[in-house]
Parts: sequence; structure tokens; C-alpha cells
Amino acid sequence: MKLLTCPLNGPRNISEFTYGGEYHPMPDPNKTDPRQWAEHVFFHDNEAGIVTEWWCHSASSFWFLAERNTITDQVIRTFEASELFNQRVDFAAESGDNS
Amino acid sequence: MPFGLLKYGLSRDYPAKHHFTPATELKKHYDVVIIGAGGHGTAIAYNLAKYHGITNVAVLEKSYLGGGNTARNTAVIRSNYLTEEGVEFYRESVKLYNNLSNEFNYNVMMENRGQLTLAHSDAAIRSFRWRAEVNQHMGVRSELVDRQTIAELVPNLNMSEDSRFPIMAGLWHADGATARHDAVAWGYAKGACERGVELHQLTEVEDIEVTQGRVTAVKTNRGRVECAAVVQAVAGASSVVAKKAGIRLPIHCYPLQAMVTQPYKPILTPHVSSPHVHVYVHQTSRGEFVIGGGSDPYPLYHTRATLDQRESLSAAALELFPFLSQARMLRQWAGTTDMTPDYSPIMGLSPVENYYLDAGWGTWGFKATPICGVTMAELVATKKVPDIIKPFELERFYNYEQINEAGATAASH
Amino acid sequence: MTHVNSSQPAMQNQRRSPLYRRHTELKAEFESLGDASLVSRYGELAAEIESAAQLGLADLSALPRIGFKGAGAPQWAISQGIKLPESPNHSVVQDDGALVGKLSHQELLILSDLAGSSALVNSLEPVQIESLKQSEPAAQTYHLPRAHSHSCLAVTGTAAAEMFSKVCGVDLRSHKFAQGQIAQTSLAKINAVIVRHDLAETPCFYVLSDISTVEFLWDCLLDAMQEYAGVPVGVAALRSLAARG
Repeated sequence: MKLLTCPLNGPRNISEFTYGGEYHPMPDPNKTDPRQWAEHVFFHDNEAGIVTEWWCHSASSFWFLAERNTITDQVIRTFEASELFNQRVDFAAESGDNS
Repeated sequence: MPFGLLKYGLSRDYPAKHHFTPATELKKHYDVVIIGAGGHGTAIAYNLAKYHGITNVAVLEKSYLGGGNTARNTAVIRSNYLTEEGVEFYRESVKLYNNLSNEFNYNVMMENRGQLTLAHSDAAIRSFRWRAEVNQHMGVRSELVDRQTIAELVPNLNMSEDSRFPIMAGLWHADGATARHDAVAWGYAKGACERGVELHQLTEVEDIEVTQGRVTAVKTNRGRVECAAVVQAVAGASSVVAKKAGIRLPIHCYPLQAMVTQPYKPILTPHVSSPHVHVYVHQTSRGEFVIGGGSDPYPLYHTRATLDQRESLSAAALELFPFLSQARMLRQWAGTTDMTPDYSPIMGLSPVENYYLDAGWGTWGFKATPICGVTMAELVATKKVPDIIKPFELERFYNYEQINEAGATAASH
Repeated sequence: MTHVNSSQPAMQNQRRSPLYRRHTELKAEFESLGDASLVSRYGELAAEIESAAQLGLADLSALPRIGFKGAGAPQWAISQGIKLPESPNHSVVQDDGALVGKLSHQELLILSDLAGSSALVNSLEPVQIESLKQSEPAAQTYHLPRAHSHSCLAVTGTAAAEMFSKVCGVDLRSHKFAQGQIAQTSLAKINAVIVRHDLAETPCFYVLSDISTVEFLWDCLLDAMQEYAGVPVGVAALRSLAARG
């Protein structure tokens, strides 16, 4: 059994969590061309080493971030998303051509 | 018999010749450098040498021949995919497999056992019907079968209607098969080396030199090698190697675990797979039951085995084959899978000139080995992308033209 | 709220728990609670009280409950006169018997008392939610209809914590998991919110899980309870134990 420490719920079996992908700041959808958007959505660093990634504690739907070594599977630290996000992110689409 | 053995022992054929050339110094220059001596890398080298007359080829392997994911997959061969692009590609691969022992004059132990995929829901039956129609249209033997047929195909399958997920129907794929995975890599390496290809084991590519958008050399732990073209065939390390050439890929590496029981007398002929309970089981010609399932839940470059996965694989296998409760587990292992967003491979040109990609082989690499060798060799020799692999180019992700095989792949292998 | 005792089957046109068929098979006696029916008892009350004190499983899905979430939720709750626990994964009992738990810094869960009469839950339901929709985006309080999304079971009795150790990774024994504490975890592989809310001296754990999973969870828990002679119990036994204090 491997433990992951949820910043909200404490150490739990890693089976209680869902992996949520690499952490990358999202480019502004309104100023991104389709090629850059594809790069953001589909392509990954897939680093062999220490990475920052999203995790979700399934039972509480709590999303947080973890620094993990993808070679040794060692978790260096976990922290709340509020360390990186301190204000509401809106996804408002720019008005314009909807075709 | 003892006389036959004695005669062989004294004959000129004994001891048997090595399958490949012993280690030599690296040359200064090769026409083609292939990174990775697994099934794919050696198949590409074999086809370059035999069918295109290109023999100034080095296959560089950081470990040993066929020691990576070639040795770790569960040796399933099938072509009952969902998209026309996928079915056509794997269909050709199965055809080549059927003739591979003759091609090599070397036994790869091909066994046409057939594959049965189980449906435990109406939704699965609908998708199986869809797959069967596409498969038949493309000339692949694939049909939807009812419970009675399933019971005849696999008499020891748990057909109880009281189980948690009762079996409702199946997708029967008579073309499904298995082969000795090591022998496939050995056969290709042997044939390539006989024709002048050099296999360099314990030779790790540390850097890739790109000049004005074109690959010119690779730096290894044994020195620098100039080359006119490079093919990377390093399943499980594709992102890491591509990064050395400055290429970013749409891949995440996940471990995929499997386990095997002690040998038992032959009682299970086809390969049986259930995407719903996440397990597949087949019995090898040696009698062991091979049990595999879905990938690990998060990315990792490590091939450790976990208790969690053993528990879930065992639970699922017992759901299908209760008699396995008495079976003893011999070993459990993992390979590293390059998972792509659409569960299809990435083959062909890359953003770097003369640098070719053979990547994104997720859980479907072994079954594609022969066709991959043929098409990638043709690409390297002619610099023209063969039509059959055109849909799998890296560029498809930028064009939003993915080849979705997620439904025909997950836990089916 | 009045309790109308009636013999089974449950009242017509009332909300039923997904476990209704299991209850009728056990010859449950139902009582009417608002628009829903709740199992009052399965058999003789005195024996059922003893069972509940040892190890019992009750389906409280018909009791009212509600949730709120958002950056403004704690402030808004305080403005409504709600007493909040200091840190997440803890709960406090309100003056009207309702239990308010913090599931995160920004998420609240409010459970009714066993009579289903907590004014807090009942009064919040229709009126306040409407006003939330009109509030400023900055206030950011969103209503979570927990009565519809989640089922609510209660596991009671002195053997409860030991039984849980078979299906749950969190240590729920009394000296490790205090009264009022909350664990959001995996229970028999189902995501669940477990709240310790004792019935006077009798340990009691509320278990909230996705309502679509409750039949599976009910069967799993009864299976795990078997070796401790645990049985289904009605809300009447729970009320009696709560009144013992």
C-alpha cells in the first residue's frame, strides 16, 4: 500500500486518489491558435524525474498538487492549489463568431 | 533418442551459432542508427537489410536485445480494432505474423488460438456489433457471439447469471493469436545481423545532434556516431529520447502489470478478455495462465509490481475463471507503456529531418511488430510515408485528427 | 413534524429509499416523515435497541440534509446563525439538534436530527437557496442538494469501529476518532463521508455516499457485520439510545 498525503484529509492509501495530469498554466483560450491549444491539451513533458502534478482525493473531491519523482515514485510534497491560485478563474468566451 | 542427442553433440551444428554478431567497436558513421533493440528496432533493421539493401545500420541498445517491453508484454496478437485505419494496419501485421517463422526459418511459436472479448452490458454489445461490422468489412474474422457459443468456445468460463457482471455476449476473433515474444526479437536480430547490421548492446544514446533542423549524429556512452538517419524505437522511454532531439510528444508513461501462474495441463485454448472487469487471461503453451489487465492508475517510469494490482487482477480473474482460486502465482511484473491520447501509435516523420518516430506503443506494440518493421523501413529507405501508416503521424494531434482506439484497446490487449 | 406510525407498506406517493425493497423483505415498519418514509423498526423494539447498542445498521436516507460550498460559504453560514467547527473534517451540534460538518474550508454539510425536525435544515431548504442565486458572484455560495445526491446510513454500537476496520482504511476506534470527527474516505471501495455522532453513550457513525451505490454498500456492510451479530435496525431504536443519556 502506498500512501499519499492529502493536504485536507491527511495520509491515505493512494487508491483513494485520482491522478489529474501535469501542472501547466493554461494559456488564454482567446489568444491561443489551434496548434498551441493542441500542444497544451494533448502534449506532455512526461518527465522522468521530479514533476508537479494535479491529484484529486476522490472521497472529498479535493483537488491539490503534488511534487513527485516519476522514477522512484517518491512523493516530495503535496500542497493546496491555493498556493498557486488565489483568485477565481473565469472561462468567459469572448463574444464573436460562433460559427 | 540418446543417440540422436549424442550425434547432435558431435556434429558441426553444435554448439549452435550466436544469433547476432558479437560486440565490436562502433564505426564513425552509419547510414541508419536505430535506437532500441526490441522487436520494433530489430524488425526495422531486418527489413532495411533484407528488402532495401541498406546494411550500414547500427541498432543501439542501452541494455540487452529484447530486454525491455518486448520481454514484458503478454504476447497477444489480434486485429479486431474499431477504426478502419487501425483495423487495416493490425490486419497486415497479423498476416505477416502468420508467415514469420517461414520468413526467418526460425520458430516464433505462433499459435492461432483465437480471442474472445466479453460483453457484460448492453452498451458493450452495441460497441462489439460495431467492431464486428467494421472488422468484417475490412476482411478480419470477427463476429458477435451469444452465450451458448461462448460456453462452447470456453467451457470452463463462469457463465453464471448470478455473478456481479454476468456475461451477456462476446466478440469472437478467430484471427487472434499468440507467439513467443523473445523469439520475435531474436529472429529479427538474427536475420538483420546475418545481412551486415550491427547490434550494439549496452550502448546508450546520451544525446542527439541536430544541425539546421536535421539529425547528424548521436552521442553514446561508447562515443559519437555520425549518421544520415535515426529511428527511435524505444517504447517506454519515447519522451525521454525524443526530448534529446528537441521533440515533445503527446505521451504519458504508465506501468502495465501482469502475472503468471504455475503451469497446469492445457484447459484453456482462446485468449479471453473482459474490458468490463478489467482482466484478460490466456494459457501459454507451457501451461501457465497469463493474467493481465489495465494500466496502473498514474504515470511512472518504474517496473515494480504492486499488491493493489495483484489483488484486483486476481479478483477479476476469479470472476471469470473460479477454478483459478487453486492456482499458485509464479511471478508478477510490469512494463512501461507509452500511452497516447487516442490509444493509437505515433509513427513516421518528426519535426526533425531524417529523424523518424516509432513511438506511442501503449499496450499494442507487440502485435504491430512485423508491420512496423516493414513500413518504417520503407519510410527510411524511400523517405516517403507509406499510406498505411500515414494516419498515425505525429501531426494528427495538431490537426485534431485522432484515431480513437480507446474502446477497442482498454484491457483487451 | 408529527410521526404517523403505520404498518407496512410505506405510505403511497412518498419518497422511498433505494433500499425500500430490502426493507420490505425484512418486514419493516415504516413511519412517515415529511414527504418520505423511514424505517421505524424491523421487529420487537426492545431487542432492536440491544442490537443497535451492539452493532446495528440503519437507513436514514429519508432524513433531511443539505450542503453549501464556495469561497463565501463559511461567512454566509455564520450570517445565518450557524455555528461552525474550527477546522475541516469536524462537526458541531447546533441548538436545534442539527449537525453541521465542515468537509473543507469552503464546504459545509448539514444533517438533521433523528426526528427530522431541525429547523435549520428545514427552513434553509426553500427560502435561502433562492436568495443565494441572487447574491453577488463575490459571495460565491452554492447549494448542494445532499438529500438527492447522497444516501445516509448509520452504523451504531460498540462493535462498529472494529467492524469498520474490515472495510475502511481509517482507524475509527474511539481513542483515535473523536466524537464529531469526520473522515472522507473509501468504504468497501465506495467513496463515503463518515461522521462520528454518538447516540449518548452508544458509538454511532453516519455514512453518506453516492445514492446510486447504497444498495451495494448496504449489502457489504451487513456482510461485514455478520461475525459481530450486527443486524439492520430502525430509527426508533436509535432515538431510544440517544435518549438514554
